[in-house]
Amino acid sequence: MIKIFKGIKGIYNLLIMNEEESLEQLKNAILEGNPNKAIEFVEKSIKIGIPVKEILNRAILKGAEEAGKLYEEDEYFLPDLLMTGDAINAATEILKNSLSGKSEIESKGIILIGTVEGDIHDIGKSLVVSILRGQGFEIVDLGSDVPPEEFLRKAKEINPNLIGLSGLMTMSISKMVETVNLLRSENIQSRIIVGGGILSKESCEMIGADDFAKDGWEGIKKIHNLIKI
Amino acid sequence: MVKDWVPSVNRIFRTISGSKRVDKVPFLAFAGEQMICRITGKTVRELYSSPKVYANAIISTFEFLNADSINVPSAYAGPSEGLAFAEANNKLDAIKWFNYQPLMCKQGEICKSEEDIDKLEIPDHSKNNLWKNSLLTAKMINEKTKFPQVISLSIWSVVQELRGLEAYKDMRRNPDLLLKLCEKIFESQMDIYENWLEVVGMPPNVFIAGYAFNRHMMSFQDSMRYEGQFIKRMMNKIKVPFMLHNCGTSPYFTEVVKEIDFIAVNGSHPLDIEYWIDFKKQHPKIAIIGANIDVSREMLTGTPSDVEEKVKENILNLAPGGRYICCPVCSLPWGVPIQNILAIPKAIEKYGHYPIKIN
Repeated sequence: MIKIFKGIKGIYNLLIMNEEESLEQLKNAILEGNPNKAIEFVEKSIKIGIPVKEILNRAILKGAEEAGKLYEEDEYFLPDLLMTGDAINAATEILKNSLSGKSEIESKGIILIGTVEGDIHDIGKSLVVSILRGQGFEIVDLGSDVPPEEFLRKAKEINPNLIGLSGLMTMSISKMVETVNLLRSENIQSRIIVGGGILSKESCEMIGADDFAKDGWEGIKKIHNLIKI
Repeated sequence: MVKDWVPSVNRIFRTISGSKRVDKVPFLAFAGEQMICRITGKTVRELYSSPKVYANAIISTFEFLNADSINVPSAYAGPSEGLAFAEANNKLDAIKWFNYQPLMCKQGEICKSEEDIDKLEIPDHSKNNLWKNSLLTAKMINEKTKFPQVISLSIWSVVQELRGLEAYKDMRRNPDLLLKLCEKIFESQMDIYENWLEVVGMPPNVFIAGYAFNRHMMSFQDSMRYEGQFIKRMMNKIKVPFMLHNCGTSPYFTEVVKEIDFIAVNGSHPLDIEYWIDFKKQHPKIAIIGANIDVSREMLTGTPSDVEEKVKENILNLAPGGRYICCPVCSLPWGVPIQNILAIPKAIEKYGHYPIKIN
């Protein structure tokens, strides 16, 4: 009896929930960083026939954008952004599965990213990967403690639009110099961004990167700009 | 050892306590394993293998840099603590060794799951070789230089090593679990302190590596919850003055000193010298160690003249009245030119003698 009632209630909810409501709920789930709710509302949005692009742009990316704004206003902090990233990834995974081979989600670019050799810190990098992946970038994450040669090998293989080198330790700067030198000497043309709290305009110039970011959120914004150029 | 360390000891500790009997601004350097290896030509494993070798290498390095400070880089609740936890919990795969830089603990490997936190064993530091040798090294340095070694403790630095990225998510989805981990780390920090007392003796100060106190990492409320409250508890148990280190780019210095009674703050950000001038006005009894000399700027890419200008700016603005220690933050990177490091004591010699001549 309870099961029948729940079933009827579910159909009723589906019927009365219009497009706007569904997208608003999904956006809120992203903003709250609630992956379960994000899955629930992305599935509902698909069921009521909202096109994937609309779901992505009007709910998922909008939620990410609002989370970023709250971060800049000191209302949100790294934990909130990471939870938002989880919700985005959960939602986009459902979207991708629903497409079954159709290419409705255009790639915004290919990014190769990793923490340089000798450094294992990856919190800022993980935020960048999580948010950008949800925003439609193809990310190849080499992980941490990545030797320069590995960056080169992968860059030759996938020809990324951008390469991101991350590092927290002051000693990572030398490794960034080495990595960028190797990539440029092998004629890798991708734009390069370096990320980490240790970096400055001066050290970025010394490294030979196109730009730098001191934290994950700044990195996300700068990567968008670098890929546009 | 070629240097008489007593003037440096007086310079550093009198400055921190606000004594007027200070001849010049002290120079405190963070020379980690990397710099010690670079200067002595030894590998990290060689350094760690014998307290005598390690102590001599440290003394040589700090003397070479003409610093007023001296410390054992591995006797710090950072990578060495990761190793201690890895060993106590049979997870040595989480540790990566390097030849010329400190070992690292792969973030999040030791406490991957809730069960890992529940079952986490607190290390017995008296049984861990690196800690044993580091403390014996600190004792030797105490004896050879008469420079009393300062103990360095931390909560969040260790949380990040053990739990990694998940710790930040735990703040929102499972704060009790995260507090349970902080509690265990607190217990471990107390074990370090007990061992320190036994081997090295009573430290003059506690140097807190308070990485939680950073806006780009968490709210101030969360930083107090996951680090601040534990520092207050340490203060109840360890009755010496505490100093706060934070090498992040958005530190909560002004906020935290209203909540916790630190005698000194150490950082390189904000870069705006006006922040530090105001900090000194607002908190005249708190010593400033560092201000805005950032190792990734003038130190790394500039010339000795650039470094001199930066030191001059810091001294002229912050040294009058005392309680200022010149210190590039944080650890001196491999590529920093030695001339740039040596430019600091030279600039201090030029501008840093008391009374400070403003013009």
